[in-house]
Amino acid sequence: MNLPFAVTLGPGSSRADHTGAWRTERAVYVQRTAPCGNACPAGEDVRSWLYDAESGGAGYEAAWRRIMETNPFPAVCGRVCYHPCETACNRGHLDEAVGINSVERFLGDEALAQGWRVEATAAPTGRRVLVVGSGPAGLSAAYHLARRGHAVTVRESAPVAGGMMRYGIPRYRLPREVLDAEIRRLLALGIQLEVDTPVTDLDAVMEAEGWDAAFLAVGAQLGHRTYLPAASAARILDAVSLLHGLEEGERPLLGRRVAVYGGGNTAVDAARTARRLGASDAVVVYRRTRERMPAHAEEVADAEAEGVVFHWLSTIERVEPEGLVIERMELDEDGFPRLTGRTERLAADSVVLALGQDTDLSFLGEASALRVSDGTIDTDRAFATTRPGVFAGGDVVAGERSVTIAIGHGRRAAESIDDWLAGRPPAPEADVDLAPYEALNTWYFQDADRAHRERLELARRSSTFDEVVHGLDRETALYEARRCLSCGSCFSCDNCYAMCPDDAVIKLGPPGEYVIDLDYCKGCGLCVQECPAGAIVMVPEET
Amino acid sequence: MRRQLEGSLAVADTVARCRPRVVAAYPISPQTHIVEALSELVASGGLAPCEYLTVESEFGALSACIGASAAGARTYTATASQGLLFMAEALPNASGLGLPMVMTVANRALGAPINIWNDHSDALSQRDAGWLMLFASSNQEAVDLHVQAFALSERTSLPVMVCMDGFVLTHAVEEVDVPEQEQVDAFLPDFHPRQSLDPDHPVTIGAMVGPEAFTEVKYLMAHRQLRALDEVSAVAQEFESAFGRTSGGLLQPYRTDGAELVVVALGSVLGSLADVVDELRDEGLAVGALGICCYRPWPFDEVRDALRGVTDVVVVNRAVAVGSGSILGQDVRLSAPRGTAVHDVVLGLGGRPVTRDVLRRLVLDVVTGRVGSDSLTFFDLDHDRAAAELARELADTVPANGGGS
Repeated sequence: MNLPFAVTLGPGSSRADHTGAWRTERAVYVQRTAPCGNACPAGEDVRSWLYDAESGGAGYEAAWRRIMETNPFPAVCGRVCYHPCETACNRGHLDEAVGINSVERFLGDEALAQGWRVEATAAPTGRRVLVVGSGPAGLSAAYHLARRGHAVTVRESAPVAGGMMRYGIPRYRLPREVLDAEIRRLLALGIQLEVDTPVTDLDAVMEAEGWDAAFLAVGAQLGHRTYLPAASAARILDAVSLLHGLEEGERPLLGRRVAVYGGGNTAVDAARTARRLGASDAVVVYRRTRERMPAHAEEVADAEAEGVVFHWLSTIERVEPEGLVIERMELDEDGFPRLTGRTERLAADSVVLALGQDTDLSFLGEASALRVSDGTIDTDRAFATTRPGVFAGGDVVAGERSVTIAIGHGRRAAESIDDWLAGRPPAPEADVDLAPYEALNTWYFQDADRAHRERLELARRSSTFDEVVHGLDRETALYEARRCLSCGSCFSCDNCYAMCPDDAVIKLGPPGEYVIDLDYCKGCGLCVQECPAGAIVMVPEET
Repeated sequence: MRRQLEGSLAVADTVARCRPRVVAAYPISPQTHIVEALSELVASGGLAPCEYLTVESEFGALSACIGASAAGARTYTATASQGLLFMAEALPNASGLGLPMVMTVANRALGAPINIWNDHSDALSQRDAGWLMLFASSNQEAVDLHVQAFALSERTSLPVMVCMDGFVLTHAVEEVDVPEQEQVDAFLPDFHPRQSLDPDHPVTIGAMVGPEAFTEVKYLMAHRQLRALDEVSAVAQEFESAFGRTSGGLLQPYRTDGAELVVVALGSVLGSLADVVDELRDEGLAVGALGICCYRPWPFDEVRDALRGVTDVVVVNRAVAVGSGSILGQDVRLSAPRGTAVHDVVLGLGGRPVTRDVLRRLVLDVVTGRVGSDSLTFFDLDHDRAAAELARELADTVPANGGGS
C-alpha cells in the first residue's frame, strides 16, 4: 500500500505506555458463593452442577456426579425437597427462580435410567462405624463414610430401609421404586444393612461389638399427642401412625368424613392420603392462618386442588361421637391466635392428629453418657454428642426437620466422624461471600420464563397413589438449567475480554481462565460492570 | 426507470444501488425518510451485503462511518441541521484521514430558535471541514449526484457531502429517473481504498502528527482538495456519457452569455431562477443565472470566468454569517472580476419561500438601484417588525431617570 504522508503510518504500538500506572483500583476475578448452594441444606454446589448440566449430553452425568459428591438422593430430593435453593435464587428478582428442583429430579431419574453408579474414593481404612437408623440422615452418613473407606453397618428397626422417606412421605409424592433404587445403589458401596434389628441399648452394643464410632439417626417417629376431651366412641389416630401403617399394607378405617388437626406438611399429607383412601370430606383444622402455616405452599395448593378443605383459625375443643366441636380463633395485635369462645360443629367420622413428632430415645438407656435436652440429643456443630465417638443427626437433634436437612446432617456428621477417626482437627468453615442480585448484569441474559412441571390429572389424584408431579423431559431440563445466571462465578462469556478498553484481559486458553495484565489495566471497572455473573470485583490498590 | 417518487426515497434507492457496505445514521428531520428507507432495505435483504448500524447519535454515526471506511467499506450516512453540528468533531477526521464516504445533508436551518425548515445554514457552517460539498438543484440531480459522489469520493479518497434542500426536495414527489442497478454497477467500480485496516497488513491511521509535519499535511490536504475540482468535472462528464443527461459538475450557468446581471445561487432555487431569467430576458433584460453545484472545493477560476463581463452580480444567500455578512457572498466577492458590483442578499431563511415572484422582485430591485453592493441586504424583511423591536430594545437600554439619590 502506498500510504499517505504522516496520516497513515506503519504499525506502531502503544505498549510502551503503561496505563496501569494510572490505576487506583484493580479488577480481580472472584468466585463468590451462589445463593442457591448457600441455601441448600444438603450442601449441594448447585451452581456448579447446573453449569455442568447446561452442556447437556455428557454434562448430565457430570452434573449428577457433582450432586452425588454431597447428596446420594437426587431422585428423592428432586421430588420431596422444599427447595430453599429456589427461594434464594437470584433469578427470582428477574422473573422466576430457576427450577433447580426439577432439574435435580431429571438428573436423578436419568442416573437411575442409565444405571450410573459411584465408587468409594478411598481405600478401606479398617475402621467400623455403626449407623443407627436408615432414614435420610443415617443413609447419607453411611454413604459418605463408605466412600471414605470405612466399614459401615446400618441397623434399622423397621423391616425396610428408608425411614421417614418410606414411612412418612406418601407414595404419590415419592414412588417407592425411585426410593428403593437410590437406596439399592447406595448400599452397593458395601454398606451392611440390618433390618428388623432395633438397637435397644446403645451402651451395650458399643461395648460388646467394638465399634470405632457410631452415628445416631433414629428420627422422630412418634406422633405428638395432645389431650382432647373425647367420647369413648371417637376414632382418633395420629398422622405418623396412619402413614406408617399404610406403608405396611394396612387400610385404616377413617370413614367418609376425616378431620386432620395440625398445619404442617404431615397434616397435608394425611389429608391428601385420606382423600385417596376414599374420604369424601378431608378437612384440615389449623389454629393459625394460611400465611403462618408451616406446610409448604405448593403442598397446600395441591391439596386444595384435590378437594381438601382448610379451616383456618380453628382449634378442636372436643370430639363427640357425631363429630367435632371447633372453636374459632382470632389473631391478637401481635399476630398470635387467641380463643374467641365462638364454637361450631364439624361432622367427622375420624380425627387425625398431625401436631408434630417426638423422638423415642429409650434405646440410650438409663446410664447413657449422652446429654439430652427437650427430647432431642445434644450435639455440637460437628454433630458430636457428649459421648466421644458417638455422633447424631437428622430429626433426632434439635432444629428444623426435612429430608434434605437430614441428608445434610448425615454428610457433615460423616465428615466429622472421618476427622475423628483420623485424629484430624475439623476443617475450618468456608467463608461465605454471597453474590447479590445487584452484582449481576442481567441485561446479557435472554428472557426465559420458567418451565413448570406438569401434574397428574385431578381425577386420578383422589383415587390412586400415582405420582402427582411429573418430571421434565430432556429438552425442558436443559432449558431450565440454562436459565441459571451463574451468580458470582465466571462462565467464560468473554465479556471482560471483549470490552476491556486497554486489551488488558488475557485469555489463558482454557475456558473461563483469564488474567488481568496490570501493566495496562487502568482500573476503569468496565469489566466489573459488564460481567453478567458478578464474578469480578474492584479492589483498592495500596497507596 | 422514471417514477413518481419522493425525493428522499429516490435518494435512498440510488444509494442502495451504489452498494454501500455500511450505513450508520441517526434520524433527524428532514433527512429521516432516507435512512428509514435504507434501514428497511437492509432489514428486508434488499440491500445486501450491508451492515446498518443503529447508533446513539450523529456523532456516533459519523464515528462509525470513519471506522467502516478505514476498514475499507463503502460507507454512507445522512443528517441535517444540528445533526451535522453534532458530527462537527468528527467531520475533519474523516477528511483529514482521507477516508472516502458519502453523506446526504438534507439542508435545514440551525437553531435557536428551533426551525425544521430549509435553508443552507447547516452545510455552510461546515464549509472548512475538508469535505467536498455538492449542491443538488432538483431531485433528479440529487439522485445523480449520489452516484457521482461515491465515484468522486473513492477516486479522491475524500469524503463527499451531497446537499439537497430539506422538504423542498426531500419531501417533494416528482418524476425521477432512478438509475438501474446495472447502470450504477457499470459506472461505479468496486471500492479499492487508498488505505485500510487489515490485520494481515497492519497500519496506523490517525496517529498524532507533531509540528514537524503538521503544516505539510495540511498543505497536502489543501492541495488535494483543489485538485478534486478536476475530478468533479471529469466525473460529471463521465456521468453524462454513461447516463445521457447533464448533472453536477462545478457550475451550472443559465443564459449567462451576454448577461449584464447574473444571479448566483445554490440548490433548488435554481429552477425558479431559470424561469425568472426566461421571463426577464423576454422583457429585454440581459440577465442570467449561475448555479454553484460544487461549493467545496470552490471553483475560483471557473466562477471568475463565468462572471467576466458581468456588471452586477446578485448572490442569493440562504444563510447568514452573523457578525460578518454572508457566506456564499464572500466566496463570490473573491472570485468576481474587478469592477463587478456584488449585491449580497440574504433571503429564504428557515423555510421562507423563495418564489419566482420574490426572485423577480429581487432582480428588478437590483436593476432599479434599490439593492446596494456595499453592504448585506436582507431581502423580503419585515422592516416594520424589525424596526419596532430595535426601538423597543433601545428604549429598554435608556437608564431610568433619578436613579441616584
